Amino acid sequence: MTNSPPLLQVCDVVKDFGGVRAVDHCSVEIETGGITGLIGPNGAGKTTLFNLVSGAIAPTSGRILFQGRRIEGMMMHETFKLGLVRTFQIPREMKRMTVLENLMLVPAPQVGERVWASWMMPWRVAREEASIERQALEVLELVNLAHLTNEYAGNLSGGQKKLLELARTLMAEPKMVLLDEPAAGVNRTLLQSLAATILQASVDRDITFVIIEHDIRLVMNLCDPIIVMANGTVISHGTPTQVQQDPQVLEAYLGGAVSDSS
Amino acid sequence: MDIISYAAGFAIMAGIYAVFSLGLNIHWGATGLFNIGIAGFFALGAYTAALLTTQPPDPMLFEDFTFGGNWSEIGFLDLGIDLWFFLGIAAAAIACGIIALAIGYVTLRLRDDYLAIATLGIAETVRLFFLNEKWVANGSKGLYRIPKFLGDLVSPENYDYIYLGVVLAVLVALFIAVELALKSPWGRVLRAIREDEVAAEASGKNVFNFKLQAFILGAVIMGIGGALFAHNVRFLAPITFDPLLATFVIWAMLMVGGSGNNRGAILGAFAVWGIWTGTQFLPGIFEDPNFRFFMIGALIVTVILIRPGGILGEERRMAQTVKD
Ligand SMILES: Nc1ncnc2c1ncn2[C@@H]1O[C@H](COP(=O)(O)OP(=O)(O)OP(=O)(O)O)[C@@H](O)[C@H]1O
Ligand SMILES: [Mg+2]
Repeated sequence: MTNSPPLLQVCDVVKDFGGVRAVDHCSVEIETGGITGLIGPNGAGKTTLFNLVSGAIAPTSGRILFQGRRIEGMMMHETFKLGLVRTFQIPREMKRMTVLENLMLVPAPQVGERVWASWMMPWRVAREEASIERQALEVLELVNLAHLTNEYAGNLSGGQKKLLELARTLMAEPKMVLLDEPAAGVNRTLLQSLAATILQASVDRDITFVIIEHDIRLVMNLCDPIIVMANGTVISHGTPTQVQQDPQVLEAYLGGAVSDSS
Repeated sequence: MDIISYAAGFAIMAGIYAVFSLGLNIHWGATGLFNIGIAGFFALGAYTAALLTTQPPDPMLFEDFTFGGNWSEIGFLDLGIDLWFFLGIAAAAIACGIIALAIGYVTLRLRDDYLAIATLGIAETVRLFFLNEKWVANGSKGLYRIPKFLGDLVSPENYDYIYLGVVLAVLVALFIAVELALKSPWGRVLRAIREDEVAAEASGKNVFNFKLQAFILGAVIMGIGGALFAHNVRFLAPITFDPLLATFVIWAMLMVGGSGNNRGAILGAFAVWGIWTGTQFLPGIFEDPNFRFFMIGALIVTVILIRPGGILGEERRMAQTVKD
């Protein structure tokens, strides 16, 4: 442990949806580097926590700090600029844009995103586009979607859309990536290469990952530490072995009416 | 030749409608902004250009309005090429841009339907303003004596050919500008917003900011269309900006031609305007404008059923890199 503050700090955060308390006085800290697993039964509040951290929704109360900076209530494009990128549990692809366009959209800043750029400096935009396209094609190679480069994203299968979500985060230059069930619907053989891609990105590009995942085997192999949530709050936080032996975790999974089989 | 001069008059109006269709293609086709008050920008653009270039009121004509920009008479612009025409167009574009900035700033942060309501509201507000505030533009009696651009150049019976050239030149210039912009990364952000605003935010895009830019640019183009219209018909009254002919018809043009495709927007304008004006010479039921509106409605439904994206749908943008 160094003296620098944790990359992400969630301090006593509450989120109410009408009468439902989705996140209940949740506090958690995530250090720079590594791959953190976030598990817990259905409805534990994991996705809601991602929504709060990424800025998709604002907390009812509590504070969230990224690199020591308050970020609660920011918009998603603002947290993105700070280096915080997230994926969605239910993929949100741009359906009537190609897979390639979905990815080329992401890098920021782009000179070509200024309205007059295509009129005043078309060559500069063309050069920038060529380099972004090269980057996108590499990422597509990495996530095994290269054969679908020019396909409309709306025509991808569920699993392929998940891979596209992951690819989107790799197009940015994030410090932290929040992946919401990246392996859901992805087949077993691809799972290995998916895990390898995430691991490689975390090591080579210094990206800190937080991964929500129900596939316990994947989590145990890929993630350390592991955070367990239930009823909107963190009930356990430790190494895979520590978490597996925590009686509260067993209680949360087996005691709940809805238990998760994987 | 009668037919040829009729065709020129037809092409002028179709070309002006094509300008509006291009503007709507930025709003709806690219960005998914539901502007159902095109008539508001149409009227504002037309009145702005007309008021600034028309001569001051003449007491002998019992005109109510108090202001005429009289730009067409101003000496220092008298370079022999009717510079005032372009200044009027620029003023119309700026006026529409400012109104779009105001409406967009208030509504584009909110749910989509607020923009629709606001655009509908502004169209009605603009119409009622020019109707009731007689001192501005002569109320329901209308504004006439709007000057002709390059009117002294040729005899009146040949004037349409000159103006057709002007309209087509403006249309081509706007087409190139809009085509470049929508094909650029800027346009890609707009399409991403159209497809999924939340995903666009998660991809780091300031959705509100881009929507505002798109809304303003589309409105500016509509303002230019309004100015071109004013100097063509040379008579404006509030009744000119009827929602059917100034909003609905333009939507029909974009839907039929192909939303998201600039060529489609222009094609749709010529096709729908052709059907609208062509059928009025048919006997019987076609003489009833309501029936012809119904026909355009039926045309939209038919095209949408056969080709949901319009005659020319949105093009798929392929990778530029050739893989070996
Ligand atoms: N927008 C919302 N409106 C109302 N209730 C919500 C909303 N989002 C989440 N909830 C509720 O908050 C609780 C936590 O939901 P959340 O999606 O965070 O769970 P999760 O841990 O991600 O579950 P899963 O593993 O099934 O994805 C649930 O009871 C859910 O019904
Ligand atoms: Mg979830």
